[in-house]
Amino acid sequence: MTSRSSQKQDRSGKKIIPYLMAGDPDLSVTRSLLLEARKAGVWAVELGIPFSDPTADGPVIQKAAIRALSDETSLLNVLSFLGTIPLSERPPVFIMTYFNLFLAMTIDKFIDESIRVGGVAGAVIPDLSFEDAKEVRESFKAAGLALVPFISPTTSLTRIKKILATADGFIYFVSLLGTTGKALTLSSTMEESVRDLRARTKLPVCVGFGIQTPEMAQKILDFADGVIVGSRLVQEEKDPVAWGNLLRQFCEVASVAASSPHQ
Amino acid sequence: MKTRKKESEASRMPDHSGYFGDFGGRFVSETLMEALYELEKAFKKAWSDRSFQKEYQEVLTEFVGRPSPLTLAEGLTDHAGGARIYLKREDLNHTGAHKINNAVGQALLARRMGKKRLIAETGAGQHGVATATVAAKYGFDCEIFMGSEDARRQSLNVFRMNLLGANVKEVDGGTRTLKDAISEALRDWAQSVLTTHYVLGTAFGPHPFPLMVRSFQSIIGREARQQIMKKEGRLPDALVACVGGGSNSLGLFHHFVGDESVRMYGIEAGGRSLTAGEHAARFQGGRIGVLQGSKTFVLQNADGQILRTHSVSAGLDYSAVGPELAYYFETGRVHFDMVGDDEALEAFDTLSRLEGIIPALESSHAIAYGIRLAKEMGRGKILIINLSGRGDKDVLEVARLRGGVLS
Repeated sequence: MTSRSSQKQDRSGKKIIPYLMAGDPDLSVTRSLLLEARKAGVWAVELGIPFSDPTADGPVIQKAAIRALSDETSLLNVLSFLGTIPLSERPPVFIMTYFNLFLAMTIDKFIDESIRVGGVAGAVIPDLSFEDAKEVRESFKAAGLALVPFISPTTSLTRIKKILATADGFIYFVSLLGTTGKALTLSSTMEESVRDLRARTKLPVCVGFGIQTPEMAQKILDFADGVIVGSRLVQEEKDPVAWGNLLRQFCEVASVAASSPHQ
Repeated sequence: MKTRKKESEASRMPDHSGYFGDFGGRFVSETLMEALYELEKAFKKAWSDRSFQKEYQEVLTEFVGRPSPLTLAEGLTDHAGGARIYLKREDLNHTGAHKINNAVGQALLARRMGKKRLIAETGAGQHGVATATVAAKYGFDCEIFMGSEDARRQSLNVFRMNLLGANVKEVDGGTRTLKDAISEALRDWAQSVLTTHYVLGTAFGPHPFPLMVRSFQSIIGREARQQIMKKEGRLPDALVACVGGGSNSLGLFHHFVGDESVRMYGIEAGGRSLTAGEHAARFQGGRIGVLQGSKTFVLQNADGQILRTHSVSAGLDYSAVGPELAYYFETGRVHFDMVGDDEALEAFDTLSRLEGIIPALESSHAIAYGIRLAKEMGRGKILIINLSGRGDKDVLEVARLRGGVLS
């Protein structure tokens, strides 16, 4: 079995989900970052696998992908690498990368390997649209893995309902129009959208794209279940200590938000 | 009757999810999905709307200069010593290539949709110039994404786009070619989607682009069919077109797909050799994958990382191919082959000297294969080669390759 059960329909507390790029700058650093994340008490990690053509990513993650890309950081090799780390030294992981890497490995093999190494809760695949994902979603579901759905500010209510009907893991709410790493400005529209989504699903609704400071995370956690912090942390990836310190600041605001009277 | 039925089958594709058999789809980020639905709806409405068709045809006639001639290439026919060779003269269109047919169509559509800004990717620069041209004509803001390697190879076209008032953004990521320009255009579009239309230049990307681009380019084959019937009183035996993404080939092929007697040849760039990274022959060295919105044949390594490509022609220098062509590859309806850099450069000279027509390096691949094929087919047969663009843009690069630098 996977350890996904702990990631299922968990709306208690406030969640920090750091995104980190596997193999940036190398896998031994990635191992240290995973341990830091575990110690910091994150709910899960989004573990990015470098892809040659990351169309949904901004410059920071594009550059990290270029640094990380090698034979050692293939999807299969990163899963094997996870298998070498005891479950007690890494948080639950959602694999995040582009669909071609899953296709090249095959979905069946991805599922088998994920179950074998344990601690893989599912995957986040930014270029696999809801419409094209049916088979993958069903295979994942049968294996107890979550295919995390995206909802963006442009998603219509009709599609929101369809997406939520089969959603699993958590809802990845895209905070802004554009790619990862663009600076976000808070808006009441976003708050309304997130509150509306939370009313429609039992899954945690987590907000990602452009969250650059703990202060901003704190404001979002006022109405969302979690935040995904990507580019800002990726900038610190080469130094696990600095990365860990910054991550802990995000985790602290999450624990403050969790105990706030709003919730 | 049988052939008519088949033709309508070709016109029914893609299915409602944007698939040609197993190929196609909408593999893009969620942010773009609603825009794709909106675009599909707007396109289908416009395409079946008489007033839109009338407007589109009028611009093709009055601004683009259509119909383009179907020229009997007597010198080339003698040279090959076989089938009679006709050239479909897309090189004579305004801006010098077939790309304008699609750019005009999409600009009219974007205007109907109330968009204020056009963005486009470009490889050889022809689609960038075409988009900049229609943006100027219809008063859109315009930004063109171009790999910095391509911008170097096609500096004349960069200058032309600037003259037309477009902003050319050179892309330094990845291989600095067409693929990276498309990625950057998709990134821009995710941010600007509410006010901007992405004028994708080839029959590639997420649904409905492959359908829409094919439709706007199908004027090529519609004209060619009428022209050959008038000149020869019968259908051609074969069609040849170069294949980058697939817009000029599908444009020529579409109205002939149902005619079983017409053989179709799609010519990819064989580059320097079939070693990985040295060519852009997706059907020779690629396998099924997903890139930039579409499930199709992709040049990739065992892990699924996209391979570099090489071709002397920027417009064919791309790792994936349009999904409709992938479908015709699987069904065998289109025969795919390749022509390398050297043979294409030779054809570039041959056509210039024998016909007084300097072809684009992209089209030179089709010419080279057409010479081979005409010989094989023998006398009494008829062959149409799509001359997708003129070679003015390539003159500097060819001079550079031959060691004589012009400036």
